Amino acid sequence: MKIKKILVANRGEIAIRIMKTARKMNIRTVAVKTSFEPFAMYLSFADEIYDICENPSEIPVFLDIEKIISIALETGANALHPGYGFLAENAYFAQKCIDNKIIFIGPSPDAIYKMGNKTIARRLALKNKIPMAIGSDGNISDVEEATTIASKIGYPVIIKAASGGGGRGMRIVRQVEEMEKMFLIASKEAEKAFKDPSVFIEKYIENPKHIEFQILGDTKGNIIHLGERECSIQRKHQKLLEEAPSYALDKNLRNKMGEMAVRIARAVNYYSAGTVEFLLDADRNFYFMEMNTRIQVEHPVTEIVTGIDLIEQQIRIASGEVLKFGQEDIKIKGWAIECRINAEDVQAGFAPDPGKIEKLILPDDPYVRVDTGIREGSAIVANFDSMIAKIIVSGKNRKEAITNCKLALDKVWIKGTKTTLPFFRLLVRNQNFQDGNFTTAFIEKDLDKYFYYSEYEEMLAAWFATKLFIEENLLVDSINVDFENGKEMSPWLLNKRMSQF
Amino acid sequence: MNNKLQINKLYTLSSENRKFSFSVPLKNKIRIGKRDYIVQLKSDDKFGTYILWKNRKYPVEIIKSRQNKYEILFNDISYTFTVETPFSLQRMKVLSSKKGKVEQELIKAPMPGKLIDILVREGANILRGEPMLILEAMKMQNEILSPVNGKVIKVHAKANTNVMKDDVLVEIKVE
Repeated sequence: MKIKKILVANRGEIAIRIMKTARKMNIRTVAVKTSFEPFAMYLSFADEIYDICENPSEIPVFLDIEKIISIALETGANALHPGYGFLAENAYFAQKCIDNKIIFIGPSPDAIYKMGNKTIARRLALKNKIPMAIGSDGNISDVEEATTIASKIGYPVIIKAASGGGGRGMRIVRQVEEMEKMFLIASKEAEKAFKDPSVFIEKYIENPKHIEFQILGDTKGNIIHLGERECSIQRKHQKLLEEAPSYALDKNLRNKMGEMAVRIARAVNYYSAGTVEFLLDADRNFYFMEMNTRIQVEHPVTEIVTGIDLIEQQIRIASGEVLKFGQEDIKIKGWAIECRINAEDVQAGFAPDPGKIEKLILPDDPYVRVDTGIREGSAIVANFDSMIAKIIVSGKNRKEAITNCKLALDKVWIKGTKTTLPFFRLLVRNQNFQDGNFTTAFIEKDLDKYFYYSEYEEMLAAWFATKLFIEENLLVDSINVDFENGKEMSPWLLNKRMSQF
Repeated sequence: MNNKLQINKLYTLSSENRKFSFSVPLKNKIRIGKRDYIVQLKSDDKFGTYILWKNRKYPVEIIKSRQNKYEILFNDISYTFTVETPFSLQRMKVLSSKKGKVEQELIKAPMPGKLIDILVREGANILRGEPMLILEAMKMQNEILSPVNGKVIKVHAKANTNVMKDDVLVEIKVE
């Protein structure tokens, strides 16, 4: 069925990303305006705006299944794109769309359900002979069972929420004494976060690399992979930098892992875009971790090295089209790196730093793609994520991509909140990062600080502080500023002086 | 008023005990090696307030300022400085020299670099804020200041040698 109008059930950069492709394909889009951010940038990219500001609610509308369905019906959207987060991996919601004759731009409710339930996904992987960390066959009911299984597979083990994902609801247990406590914490966390207390146990893979494969499948059973992304640069399981391809893979390993990724996708008759995540250990053994049944934040790096618009493919697949390319047509060209510029204070352990973005200048060089939902005057609000922009940089190889990344980072100009920029400035200068020598433990173990500044910068900041001190203390009574630099008096002081008159 | 203007030098101390000295009136030039570089504070609609240095703009903001203490956001990093006049610095030294407890302080290299000069000898008394070593890193000379009053009991550092970050350079018995 032809898609004529898409309700974008999301906000921020991903809403804009979807609307841009829809526009390219001559498909109309509907955005939802909420009271949290009635002036948000994504609204100006939609053909129609559905305004719900008059009925503000505590939970964002993007989580309200009934409301979203009713908006789609009311606006005559015959398709819906969920983006990532919110309802993107809610099988019930996908089914509700279908029941209401709204095309859900994503996989089948069945695939979402099976991959969303980690114990079912594990069983499927096992049945299909996908390499996996050894672990429990199903959910663990109590501490005794957990202890028995852990002693069988050997510590360290990891307790994971059956309905979890995205790094939440996980606990590493290194010795039997910690089991009771960790089991209870994990189970409680799982119940709170996913409304399902069930957990399972796996052997914990120490210091792995995070390698994931981008999958595309159509409704006729064609499934291919678009190569891998490496997302090992993460902190507390939250990805900060992703790249494609991975330095750790050669052609052989890529083919082998890609084949396994396609196989697990086939096990749930997967269609649309999806991501199969693996852990890769130091001996190049890989283990299936989970499959994400949505478009991912880091999808642009794959788009750059394959030249394929993943949102366009999702839309085409959802309208019943067959994939126009096969596995042999996928060629990885060049290198791409994505830095997530978030409103976070890296000097305070990446604490979120919400606020109003007062100045925003983003690089526009040919080697940079910027995906953002923020513009000058936008606010980073506590209700949503802290992302300001994704800076996606390309190069003909990894080295050039890193060089370009360094240049691009210095062209980003943000005022109003603290950002993760100093972290990325540090990372691109780190020898181990440059050498591709890093694992998911990199940030915690290899870095002794999380930010970079040059000695000159500290000196210039000191110069500025000194200038302020002189203006405020040594010149305070003097109207006739006669110093050689007096005419460069800081604007704050000028304002202060003016207000005294 | 006039005696205030007689201050001809200010010492700006970072929270990590790095000391920068500036002459008063403040020059819009900073000397690095043998060259002077112009530094300018500017503001416009596009960029807001920024510092222009070697053809590059750096965003700058005041986070907090209280008396002589400034928290500055410069190029997405926040720094805390206290600005001291020669008099207040001297007073600070005297005040801190009156407190005393015996313990040892290890002075470590704050960054990798090359030691240019060793300004202290074993057995010498040293005051808080007094420079002990000059470390060159990224082509800039940094004074490493004593964080305490005390007596130098061991100097591990040698001039014209390279050091790694966190190498112990000097041991001080705190007084």
